[in-house]
Amino acid sequence: MTVAMGSLLIGLGLGVVVVRRRSVAIALVTTQALVLAAIALRQAGTASDTVAGLALVMRAVALGALFFVAVARSRERQPLRARVTPMVRAGLAVVLILIFTALVPAFGLPSRHAEPVELALVAAGLTCAVTRRSTLFQVLGIVLVENGLALAGIEAPHASSVIIELGVTLDLTLVVGVAALFHLRIFSEFGAGDSAALRSLRD
Amino acid sequence: MVVAAPLLTAAFVIVAPSKQLTVLARASAVATSALALVLVARAVKDAGHPLIGNWIVVDAAGALLLSVTAVVGLVSVLMSASYLQSAHSSFVADGHRDRVYYVVVFVFWAMLLAVPLAGNLGAAWLVVEATTATSALLVGFSGKAHALEAGWKYLILTSLGLGIALLGIAILAAGVPTGEVSGLAWGRLATFGSGRATALSAYLLIVVGLAAKIGWAPVHNWLPDAHSQAPPPVSALLSAALLPTVLLVAWRTERALAPLIGVSAAQRVLIGFGLVSLAVAVPFLWRPMAFKRLLAYSSLEHLGVMALGIGFGTPLALAGVALHIVGHAIAKALGFCAAIPLLAHEPRSARHAVSGIGRTAPALGATMGLSLGALSGLPPSPLFVSELLILAGGFESGRPWPAAIAAVLLALGFLGVAHATIDTLVGKAHRRNMTPLPGLRLVTGLGGVSMIVLVGLTAVAPWLSGSSFVAALVRGLP
Repeated sequence: MTVAMGSLLIGLGLGVVVVRRRSVAIALVTTQALVLAAIALRQAGTASDTVAGLALVMRAVALGALFFVAVARSRERQPLRARVTPMVRAGLAVVLILIFTALVPAFGLPSRHAEPVELALVAAGLTCAVTRRSTLFQVLGIVLVENGLALAGIEAPHASSVIIELGVTLDLTLVVGVAALFHLRIFSEFGAGDSAALRSLRD
Repeated sequence: MVVAAPLLTAAFVIVAPSKQLTVLARASAVATSALALVLVARAVKDAGHPLIGNWIVVDAAGALLLSVTAVVGLVSVLMSASYLQSAHSSFVADGHRDRVYYVVVFVFWAMLLAVPLAGNLGAAWLVVEATTATSALLVGFSGKAHALEAGWKYLILTSLGLGIALLGIAILAAGVPTGEVSGLAWGRLATFGSGRATALSAYLLIVVGLAAKIGWAPVHNWLPDAHSQAPPPVSALLSAALLPTVLLVAWRTERALAPLIGVSAAQRVLIGFGLVSLAVAVPFLWRPMAFKRLLAYSSLEHLGVMALGIGFGTPLALAGVALHIVGHAIAKALGFCAAIPLLAHEPRSARHAVSGIGRTAPALGATMGLSLGALSGLPPSPLFVSELLILAGGFESGRPWPAAIAAVLLALGFLGVAHATIDTLVGKAHRRNMTPLPGLRLVTGLGGVSMIVLVGLTAVAPWLSGSSFVAALVRGLP
């Protein structure tokens, strides 16, 4: 993987952390997933690698469609204000990326750029899920984490399996599908896809 | 077959006539659990020779969890009709409610049955993740605001946790020389070649990630909410089957990676989670709390005890773990099933602590008392014996301090739950709904069977640590 490609993937991830509009964030995550699929297909050496790459394409398209349907059915008068400002969110994501890169030892991917990119996407996803109030942004955080992990599958020699890739695609689509259902019910119950409304159960 | 049977049932439920749903679900549940128990019997009979493949493994530990999941699943399906009869709201339209409920329950049960049989870490992760989507739907099934909140927390927190675990798995996959899925087979994880520090990082990521799904403190926030808001038969499956089943994945990972990272380091992580979970659970067990929420915090305590036993790792401790998993499953499933008639008898019990149930509904009170008494570790509960075995295992393994701290925390936990038991049975009683309670006859019968099994478990406990079954647990997978 080239430095430019890695930078593009991280930039798209950080974009999701800072942008305000849900539709823009969905476009960024979908683009990131398609870039990953393109890398996988370009590096595919066997038929099973190609199938695994196609699974990534399928996943990107399916999740993008699910997210856009969820947005279309839950129109907000104005975007939710997050608990923390975009600059602070970006700062938190960068700090978490540095912590991850410092703490996790090299795990032996052939491309020396791939490991920090993978960790950066996981860190960006965690930051997005934890700091955003919008329910859809929290799910986008999970997808960012999974995109980072997909990169490990692409870059590790023989580490990925078609069945595992297809399984992860199916699992992630199921999770996002269920999350979209919850988002729509939360929207109709509370008038907004706002996780701040989900804090009544406490001991 | 064991996994296919509930999946086929889910498919049949989609097309079956509405009036036949309950009969179909119950008959299929009996068949599924019978198939699973036949497999368990074979595994236990030949515990020294586990069946091992790249995708499927049938060993002693797997058989233990398979039996628990089979029995708790059967009980949950049997009790589901009573829940559906008494439920007033749902996530889905009324006309499709029962059908959707049974389809999702059977798919969830199928995924749960697949976890102990998963022959490699990648497959285990996939089926654990698949349980998340299905069980989240069930947690939010009532469609009420609190259920949506609980389901959402559960979905997001456990998905993030499993994402962290997958990062650990990806690190392992990059470092095993054989490549493909066979490299992630339990027995081959020790061939990881990227060094101890990297293996330790991967292990920590996997265990911390799974901890969010197991419900270990401090990543347990979803657990009390999900258990208290899910339909009671689903709460039984979550607490008695899902949590210990995911614990098995952490246990197998610990056994597989211990040669690389050091047995002591691997075990210390589990002991740490065990002690923290106990310490966090105990204060909540002392507070007056809604019945299902109390059972949820009890799950936190008991999963902590199991983590301690696995962390101590001696034959005594592992005998205690085996006994604890089975005893906890029976007592907890009974408790959650008793919540169905309880919620009809005293609707306030959904949000508030209850008292004097034994005065107004003696059969229901006795069942709840049996569940709480067993969970508190009141002799002759098998959980009393299992906790003794685990503590003895702690001293035997040369870890007197964790064992001593656990003993104090368990004593405090016992006092908390014992107080709740007494209050539930003979505390001050209010005016209550005295109409026939849904599922009471079934719950009372279940209570009778549970009592016999619990006493039977206590009776066999002294011989357990020297058995070939526990020897197989100690050996683990080759």
